[in-house]
Amino acid sequence: MSNNIANETIDHSRNKEAWTLKRVLTNTYFLNVVSLVLFFLLWDYVAKERIFHDSLARPLDVLNQIITLVSIKYAGSTLWGHIWASTQRVLIGFFIAAVIAVPLGLFMALNSYVNAIVKPLFDLFKPMPPIAWVTIAVLWFGIGETSKVFIIVIGSFVPCLLNAYNGVRLVEPELYDVIRVLGGSRRDQIFHVCFPASFPAVFAGLQISLSVAWTCVLAAELTNSRAGLGFLIKRGMDTHKPTLVLGGMLLIAAAAWLTSQGVGILEKKLCPWKRSIENL
Amino acid sequence: MAYQKVEVKKPLPLIVLPYISVIAFFGLWEMAVRTGFIPDTLLAAPSTVVQTFVDKLSNINPDGATLGQHAWTSIQEAFIGYGLSLLVGIPLGLFMGWFKVVEGLCRPIFELIRPIPPIAWIPLTVFWFGIGLTGKVFIIWIAGIVPCVINSWVGVRMTNPTLIQMARTYGASDWQIFKQLCIPSALPMVFGALQLALTYCWTNLVGAELLAADSGLGYLITMGGRVARPDIIVLGMICVGISGAIIGFIIDEIEKKLLAGIRR
Amino acid sequence: MNYECGCDPKLKIHCDNVSKTFIQKGNQEVPVIRNVSLDVMENEFLVVCGPGQCGKSTLLKIIAGLEIPDTGFVTLDGQPITGPGPDRGMVFQSYMLFAWKTVRDNVELGLKLRNVPANERHEIAQHYIDMVGLQGFENHYPHQLSGGMKQRVGIARAYANAPTVMLLDEPFGQLDAQTRMFMQKETARIWEQEKRTVIFVTNNIDEALFLADRIVLMEGKLPGTVKTEYVVDLPRPRDHISEALLKLRKEITDNTELVL
Repeated sequence: MSNNIANETIDHSRNKEAWTLKRVLTNTYFLNVVSLVLFFLLWDYVAKERIFHDSLARPLDVLNQIITLVSIKYAGSTLWGHIWASTQRVLIGFFIAAVIAVPLGLFMALNSYVNAIVKPLFDLFKPMPPIAWVTIAVLWFGIGETSKVFIIVIGSFVPCLLNAYNGVRLVEPELYDVIRVLGGSRRDQIFHVCFPASFPAVFAGLQISLSVAWTCVLAAELTNSRAGLGFLIKRGMDTHKPTLVLGGMLLIAAAAWLTSQGVGILEKKLCPWKRSIENL
Repeated sequence: MAYQKVEVKKPLPLIVLPYISVIAFFGLWEMAVRTGFIPDTLLAAPSTVVQTFVDKLSNINPDGATLGQHAWTSIQEAFIGYGLSLLVGIPLGLFMGWFKVVEGLCRPIFELIRPIPPIAWIPLTVFWFGIGLTGKVFIIWIAGIVPCVINSWVGVRMTNPTLIQMARTYGASDWQIFKQLCIPSALPMVFGALQLALTYCWTNLVGAELLAADSGLGYLITMGGRVARPDIIVLGMICVGISGAIIGFIIDEIEKKLLAGIRR
Repeated sequence: MNYECGCDPKLKIHCDNVSKTFIQKGNQEVPVIRNVSLDVMENEFLVVCGPGQCGKSTLLKIIAGLEIPDTGFVTLDGQPITGPGPDRGMVFQSYMLFAWKTVRDNVELGLKLRNVPANERHEIAQHYIDMVGLQGFENHYPHQLSGGMKQRVGIARAYANAPTVMLLDEPFGQLDAQTRMFMQKETARIWEQEKRTVIFVTNNIDEALFLADRIVLMEGKLPGTVKTEYVVDLPRPRDHISEALLKLRKEITDNTELVL
């Protein structure tokens, strides 16, 4: 995974060498461990020495805070409740966006009339960052769930649509010829070539959408909410509790990472033909 | 075949439809608000937004600055943060792609920080730097650095291994190969990051300004919400969109120039 | 030409003064082939040979019905060709397999498109998978196969659709020399086993001599025209270095300024 392809030729010769000090020092796993240890030590040192006064918590305090949240209710629910509140919003918004945007994107790529109508409107909205919708969403839907889901839908929509659209347009055109030569119709071209060929692009779009969705839910929850990971961070900010802020940050990162892994697994299940080229 | 057929003529409806679509959109929007189908406390008509725009060019009420001042604040923050993220991110990514030691040391920390949405840093930056320029630059820097690092890293990794072996047979050192071979071949990917990083920066800038600021386009939107003026909110959103698009266009042109320079 | 059946050869494909011009970006016209006339008999193995960029692939695409000629026409069994159809199978240089389908699904595709029932289509596909020697790889995805194996799938896919004409567009152009020789032998074997009218496009004169009943040489610059024809009346299986074959090779190379 972290093996440098460019250095492959050297690696083979290195493998035969004995365990020298240099080899240990340049071992990837060793370096990874060193890096993480140094990172946490530095963090701890900076926090302990109060370089940022009382505005940075020590790593262990953050961990303690998270553990406390698991057992003790904070603002009406336990940690799981807060995690679920955010995740639920993300999943609902993400799902709505994907269900509308992916077919629309495919449709736009397949039909030039639909494209001519939708594309200019889409281009009009595309440069507007989804977070800019937060205020008007609150004005329209109040501070409840709807406004938060709305922002997530807006945010997830763009990458879903763009990738579905480009996925179809970048299909190798000769593949359509194959279907034609085999006696297939336009419909066959769409179902046997267009859709499966654009699958990897669609999934790449879903991954981007998901990460945008987490940013959006965070923005919405930071503005106003009564539950969720963004709420924890916001509360930590208002009460000046860096442990809560940092805990919330770590948890939202973990949640975002887990959902993205979920989509990755789904992708592997649904398109087993796709090789992962570079594992990043 | 190397010869592509070029579609000579587009049917007339395909040329006209985009214009009709956009005009219809603004027409319906205007109509919906004018007729009261959408109450004007929720949405302002395009004509009202234009009026507000003209008014805001010189009027500092109700948010304390003219539109130009807000835009200038935002653009200033965006460019400092963006510039810093390029300055740090690209070299870091390039080094991570080639030197295993750098990669081994930086990658775990990078992977740890990467999934944190940049706006989650807002409370900490407010603690550390207050709500001024520094805090926002920090958030934009965090946002922009991720695509810079990834793209430069992948760019170096995608260097043709045969070329590297060729260089080795000529007796080139690691450093020479990195400088003469890997960096040039990574450049197209690096330029790809310019646009991506800008989008990230701009999005997160708006987020930062919405939540913790005393001027800037995002702050304009927040203030519009606070004084319940949909025309100001919509104006802010449109300004954010347009300035984002303009900056994106400029970066795109620069990218094209630079790429053309390499190809030559 | 193939006189096996003892009767007069039947005209299968007839190209009449076919020309095609592509328009490049900037409205620049590029004539690709000009006034090509060609007859192909039933069950004949015709090789169209010429260097790169001489319009031979375009000619094949016109016969397949994928391109429409600007002037002239092509007939198949006396009927003019208006578009692609399952009566002509095509094998592509870059394999053009469907990455998301297994070997079996790739081979079955043509039958599926024509709504052949599943068990029947399964049987036919298996027959051709066996014929090209891919038994055991039915459930592999294309990316798990080597280049030669991929092209076998391409050949099986075209054959399974029961075409009367096989069109092969530099099918072995991307293979290494050894695999290429081997695939040539396989092609000859398969053709002997199931006779079809074949039009095989290549830039390799040895490949042409090894496979062809008749070779059509095309000129090396655009627009492509048919230059000369050679009948290769040698027994099969042939040997790449048999004396008769080498003699013919010399005759062909002497009569052309092209380096082959």
